[in-house]
Amino acid sequence: MHGVGKTYPGDVVAVRDVDLELRAGEIVAICGENGAGKTTLATMAARILTPTTGTIEGTTRVGFVHQHFELIDRMRVWENVALGNEPRRGLRLDRAAARERVRALGNANGMDVDPDAVVETLPVGIAQRVEILRELAREPEVLLLDEPTAVLAPSEIDALFATLRALAARGIAIAIVTHKLQEVIAHAHRAVVMRAGAIVAHFDDVATTSAQEIARAMVGGEIPALAAHAPTALVPRLIVRDLCAGDDASGLRSATFAVRAGEIVGFAGVEGNGQTALADALGGVIPHRGTIELDGAELGGGPRARIAAGVRTIAQDRRREALVLPWSIVDNAVLGDERGPVFARSARRARAKEIVERFDVRTKSLDTAVDALSGGNQQKVVVGRTLANDPKVVIAYQPTRGIDVGAAALVASRLIEARNGGVAVLLVSFELDELFALSDRILVLFRGEIVGEFARDAFDRARIGALMAGAA
Amino acid sequence: MSDVENFVVLTLVKSAPLIFAALAGVICERAGILNIALEGALAAAAFGAVAATYATGSPLLGIVAGMLCGALVCGALGVAATRFGVDQIVAGTGLNVVAVAAAAFGVAVVWGAAGVSPEVPSLGNVGQTVLIVVALALALGVHLVLERTPFGLRLRACGENPRAVRSAGIDPRRMRVIATLIAGAIAGLGGVYLSLAELSLYSDGMTAGRGFIALAAVIFGRWTPLGACAAAIAFGALSALQFSLQRAGVPSELMQALPYLAALLALAGIAGRARAPAADGVPF
Amino acid sequence: MKGAAIAFAALVAIAAGAMALAGANPIDGFAALFRGGFGEPHVPYDDHRIAETLVQTTALLFPALAVAFAFRAGLFNIGAEGQLIVGGLAAGIVGARLAAPGFVIILATLAVGALGGGAWAAIAGVLRARFGGNEVIATLMLNIIAGLLANYLIVGPLHSPGVEGAETAVLPADAWLPTLLPGTRLTIALPIALALAVAMRWFFARSVLGYELRAAGDAPEAARRAGIDLGRVALVAMTVSGAIAGIGGATIVDGVLHRFNVALSPGYGFIAIAVALVGRLDPLRIVVAAFVFGILQSGSLTMEAAANVPKDVVTLVEGLAILALAAQQYVARRGAAAA
Repeated sequence: MHGVGKTYPGDVVAVRDVDLELRAGEIVAICGENGAGKTTLATMAARILTPTTGTIEGTTRVGFVHQHFELIDRMRVWENVALGNEPRRGLRLDRAAARERVRALGNANGMDVDPDAVVETLPVGIAQRVEILRELAREPEVLLLDEPTAVLAPSEIDALFATLRALAARGIAIAIVTHKLQEVIAHAHRAVVMRAGAIVAHFDDVATTSAQEIARAMVGGEIPALAAHAPTALVPRLIVRDLCAGDDASGLRSATFAVRAGEIVGFAGVEGNGQTALADALGGVIPHRGTIELDGAELGGGPRARIAAGVRTIAQDRRREALVLPWSIVDNAVLGDERGPVFARSARRARAKEIVERFDVRTKSLDTAVDALSGGNQQKVVVGRTLANDPKVVIAYQPTRGIDVGAAALVASRLIEARNGGVAVLLVSFELDELFALSDRILVLFRGEIVGEFARDAFDRARIGALMAGAA
Repeated sequence: MSDVENFVVLTLVKSAPLIFAALAGVICERAGILNIALEGALAAAAFGAVAATYATGSPLLGIVAGMLCGALVCGALGVAATRFGVDQIVAGTGLNVVAVAAAAFGVAVVWGAAGVSPEVPSLGNVGQTVLIVVALALALGVHLVLERTPFGLRLRACGENPRAVRSAGIDPRRMRVIATLIAGAIAGLGGVYLSLAELSLYSDGMTAGRGFIALAAVIFGRWTPLGACAAAIAFGALSALQFSLQRAGVPSELMQALPYLAALLALAGIAGRARAPAADGVPF
Repeated sequence: MKGAAIAFAALVAIAAGAMALAGANPIDGFAALFRGGFGEPHVPYDDHRIAETLVQTTALLFPALAVAFAFRAGLFNIGAEGQLIVGGLAAGIVGARLAAPGFVIILATLAVGALGGGAWAAIAGVLRARFGGNEVIATLMLNIIAGLLANYLIVGPLHSPGVEGAETAVLPADAWLPTLLPGTRLTIALPIALALAVAMRWFFARSVLGYELRAAGDAPEAARRAGIDLGRVALVAMTVSGAIAGIGGATIVDGVLHRFNVALSPGYGFIAIAVALVGRLDPLRIVVAAFVFGILQSGSLTMEAAANVPKDVVTLVEGLAILALAAQQYVARRGAAAA
């Protein structure tokens, strides 16, 4: 790729002037913080997105494995793998050959999957294999993977990289987009670091590089410090007993735990192990069995009742679950509280103003549509709204997902300040670093159950990682 | 012929246009396009078939013209929805209005304002029988193509998850347009049947809501070609029963309303909760 | 704006082409259209023609507001035609049989019009709210069922003795909607519709329920998690939408035809979708759009009589307008997202 850039309408520059070479037999890591342009660059390399400037030369046999898989949930594995590349017998689809291909590829690459399984019944880690197999079936010369390890347990990550190394040894050029430095150090030959759309550093021999060097290149300066954890009087606030919710493989089996006022309880686990069911059950979004007690009173009802009781959620998908994108900051500021006194025009504006100031939301005016804000600023609006009502319990689901470092630090600090002020915070995150920085206690979720509990002074990365993967 | 034989024949006669329209509906919805313009496609095809036959004297050319008109209307829906980002329902509504008005306009311009065309050479009883057989064969054919061919797999995938289709290297928009064109041609056969086989002329409003009954048949048939065909035959049977039941005192409006009432019940899940294709009606 | 201008020019060109195809001179065709809409140019204030245009405007305005109301809440009400028929049917039956002073009958017809249309739409609302049934299909089916039901009732069980054909008896004269301009069919239905438009604007801009409906339409998942009951929203939105269309049907029965006739609507419910789109779902813009379409509707009859152009040309252009506007709005949205 020479001088490749991508500019979106409205002069939003996602990628600027990138020169990058992917060579056979290498694993290249494309690193950067959220919003740096890594995914955009990778989709251009895969010829899925067309660049607005620059040229791409070389093979067109490029495979791409998406971060959020693009599979047909209701179809079977063999159908997904065959799509676009179907084995034929005359005019007909050769089903037997398609099934055999899944088995053969799976065997050859250490990724066994049942060809007849319906994709939506598969656990997330296995579903990823289906997408990889689909790409491998097309015999690519280049394979790009976008944040492939986000949904994998540590042991599965090792298996994936073993597969990738084997593929590289066979001559395929591999590139992974990632922000997980341990993986880069452990597995990549080369690394490039992106920041604000441009490549700011090349590390041609990762073996001789340290994680700190790469981190510094990614952030481009000092990471802002977080607010300090103040001592709090730990009064039990939220008591959950035998909570069961969601009835598929990623549901919550049975959870019993307590969260005290003035503490942050972090939930560690690989994505798909019950976190969403837990958050949705507490928020009243899905039905559940078991009891939830808030300050001694049983909590029931739908989202409105929970909000009224003081339980607020920072949703995991801000664009779909938290914000009304075409609306202004002012109108978004009262979503959930529109039946209360804050709905009146002047009160609403005052609330919006307070959020914008306290959370440093960069915007020209309160009436700007939130769709026009950057991801970081959107998230600040969401978190600001959540904390604006003096909630008793806050469920923070990936509160710093996909936002830049500065915004992430601010959001994290505000959560800590809320905690210091007596709020009971449940933090769901797929980044152990974040959990370690913010939590007072960590509970580990595996297959919908709590399999371990760690106090702040006893955080053990190795042990937690093992529990996340299901080790006893 | 005994009463039962009469009934069966009448059922098939009444079902044929519904089968064509329902198959068209299935193809579109499995590809992800909710096609509410089937009524317009039928009207346009019926008119086009008669106009072409009138002009050339050949009903066979009329068939071709009818299929083209049907493909034009449905294809326009496909293009509007994919290339121009028009919402499928809005586009379907607009095309219905346009197609029906265009047909009425055509009748007025070509033959004067009576709303009816003169008689044209028709396909006759033989032609009608052939079309009925074609309808049934098509139901099987569409089923085989959808389930057993790569094209069918890709089409079904477009209706479930167009993003996945794109990442497999196929253009879902192109597939959807192709689907609407094929569906339109099949619906066109339905229109041809109405004006050149069952009758031998075109008259304003002769489609009588069949394009909407077809939508009901699609739901009842769980979005499968064979199921929709069966549902269409069931509706045809209702139509065939109409005369005898009317003699028994059942109001004709109730009989006519049955397919629509049945569709409402299907929406309420009476026929069991089948799921529409996941991306049915979802723009891409 | 530029896109709208191009779309408009294209529509005019197509209309002209269709007129030519019909063997008429497009200039004559357009002239007849405007004469029909506005009246003779050299006759000052050809009141009756403008009044007739306003009658068509009113007939379109009610269902257009209905469609827009549902749209704002994220629902497609394609059933305005059926709701208007049911509302008109109820108004016709009650109006012809109620023994009461005139103004009571007027209020009663409007009320049952709203109830009838609202209940009819609520069927689709319940199917959507409780069963997740697609309201597009439901309202389409209900349209046809409404026509069949009306036919059956009027000719059968609810037939008024002495009446020929598929209509009710004539309403008593003192129960007719008072006219705004004597000698015309323009009644107080127009100010009622305008008042509804203003009320709707206020509702969506200022009220809590309006906020929640808009949220459900613009971001259903976010609305749900914020405590808004999407099922209730669907039911309320469809019912109110149907009620508005039903009142429209009642005003046609009470004000224009003075009876219910199964042919009371030449497709107002469908053209209203175009009106709602042209008005970008904003009540005040919809009023303007309804006026424009009203000109087309009332002009089309003159155009047919005077210039020999089939009135279907107008319907054709209206249908194309639906497509053109939706496409143009798509382009505009893409441009705005860039800004």
